[in-house]
Amino acid sequence: MSIGLVRALRTPCPTYNAIRSLRAFSANPLSLEKALPPRPKILETDLVEAFLRGSGPGGQKINKTSCAVQLKHLPTGIVVKCQETRSRELNRKFARQILAEKLDVLEKGDESRSAIKGERARVKKASASKKAKRKYRKLDEEKGGVEQDGAESQEEGHGTGPAAVDGVPARSAETSPDGGGVEGPT
Amino acid sequence: MRLRPSLFWQARALDSHLPLLLPVCRDLQSARNELRWLSQHVDDKCRTESREIHHNLLSNYVRRRAGGEPLQYILGSEWFGDLKLYCRPGVLIPRPETAASTSYLVHRLSNGILKNLLPRNLRVLDLCTGSGCIPLLFHHEFYSSPDHRMSTLELIGMDLSNTAIRLAEDNVINQLRLQQHPSSNGEERLKSLRGLRVLRADVMETSPYSASVTEVLRQHRGLKETPTCDIIISNPPYISAKAFRTTTARSVRHFEPRLALVPHNSRHTDSEHDGDAFYPRLLAIANELEAKAMLAEVADMEQALRVAALAVKERCWEGIEIWRDDPATGRVDTTDVGKMSVRVLGDGHGRSVFLYRRLGAAPLAD
Repeated sequence: MSIGLVRALRTPCPTYNAIRSLRAFSANPLSLEKALPPRPKILETDLVEAFLRGSGPGGQKINKTSCAVQLKHLPTGIVVKCQETRSRELNRKFARQILAEKLDVLEKGDESRSAIKGERARVKKASASKKAKRKYRKLDEEKGGVEQDGAESQEEGHGTGPAAVDGVPARSAETSPDGGGVEGPT
Repeated sequence: MRLRPSLFWQARALDSHLPLLLPVCRDLQSARNELRWLSQHVDDKCRTESREIHHNLLSNYVRRRAGGEPLQYILGSEWFGDLKLYCRPGVLIPRPETAASTSYLVHRLSNGILKNLLPRNLRVLDLCTGSGCIPLLFHHEFYSSPDHRMSTLELIGMDLSNTAIRLAEDNVINQLRLQQHPSSNGEERLKSLRGLRVLRADVMETSPYSASVTEVLRQHRGLKETPTCDIIISNPPYISAKAFRTTTARSVRHFEPRLALVPHNSRHTDSEHDGDAFYPRLLAIANELEAKAMLAEVADMEQALRVAALAVKERCWEGIEIWRDDPATGRVDTTDVGKMSVRVLGDGHGRSVFLYRRLGAAPLAD
């Protein structure tokens, strides 16, 4: 099937340009795989949003740099906080993404978008490390010395970004400053 | 409040820069945030330089921040709503509360009484514009709404400080560069942004030679008669001399321009409400220009009530509202000022006073 697709792309046709622009996206082989489930959506009516600005006068008298956004999902009671960027609007977007991911995991478990994504990344990494191992073993064999390399099975770090979820404070304390798991706005 | 010594040890274990930032940031999380933003800025600024140069620059930034310098001056930018604007010493850093009021004002234009009161093609004047944040966000929010895609919008900012005017012009140029994508933006949107002017004028008319707002606007439009305008917005200096000494944050006091914070009035210095000096002038200008609506930022609820009382005395404003820090939450209270009932919208501290004129009524002659 994929061969047919490639052939169809090679033959010039009226919509060639459109397809070519499509191909620019399909440079990533992952996208030829089964599409990820859609990004989960949250109803705005289920959310309570708070901007944590602390007490004090506000306005010209004070200059705050924090623009943390806290979201509470009413049906589940999950609370998510985001202070990743200096822009409150971006933090609002990120907080919604983090919350949506958490709800998705809660609801679908292994079938959720982030779990599938993580699994794909894990498989990819495992195959890469397997290939690397094979290569170096071969090199070593050619040299003559057959040594066993230490098994390198790193658990894939699946950061949750800067979100602090109630009940899981340990994780939020560990998050890297670059906010690993947070996806940019699309 | 004193910070616990253990907090400094905790901070040092994470990063050697963090203990320096703790006293200004007051808590570990904000210190970590600020350090992250500073180090991102260093990375953006010198991608190709060596590690050592990176480290030295970051140490330099951290030391400046530890000395109380606002983060926004070090990074050279601040977010205002959806817009990232330049910031420079000598010009007030835009505050998020101002962004909230500005966005809410634009939101209100599309419905209710304001929709009938105001023309489709608006002329907006922002007095004491500083970095130009208010006209730029007004423009952005206005054209983000599908209702206004085909409307024209004339925006003018005015300021006394030449440093502020230069910065505001740079911000306009930068936004023009960023918003020049022909795809999503309408023609009117771009035309309005290209036409955004920042002019020098003195709201208080401190000397007989200073350029008055009306005169500057008249010359700008090339008119003979008195010009008019639909909406006046202003975030004037509103801190009293006493509050500047006592309740204003140190970093603001030492690093932001006093001109933008405390009204300069030689007549009654250090009287109790000397922070209110701009509001009578703003109301007078609104009358001269026959503005249909006016939004002015204030320090707190007490000042908001005093400004509302001034507006009640003018007897030409049909509606008077006080907006809190976050006016869009849906909460509405009412309070009586003089003989008028004033609606108080939103949550937080009293942040601005909003006035609109009677529909179809002629402005008072005197």
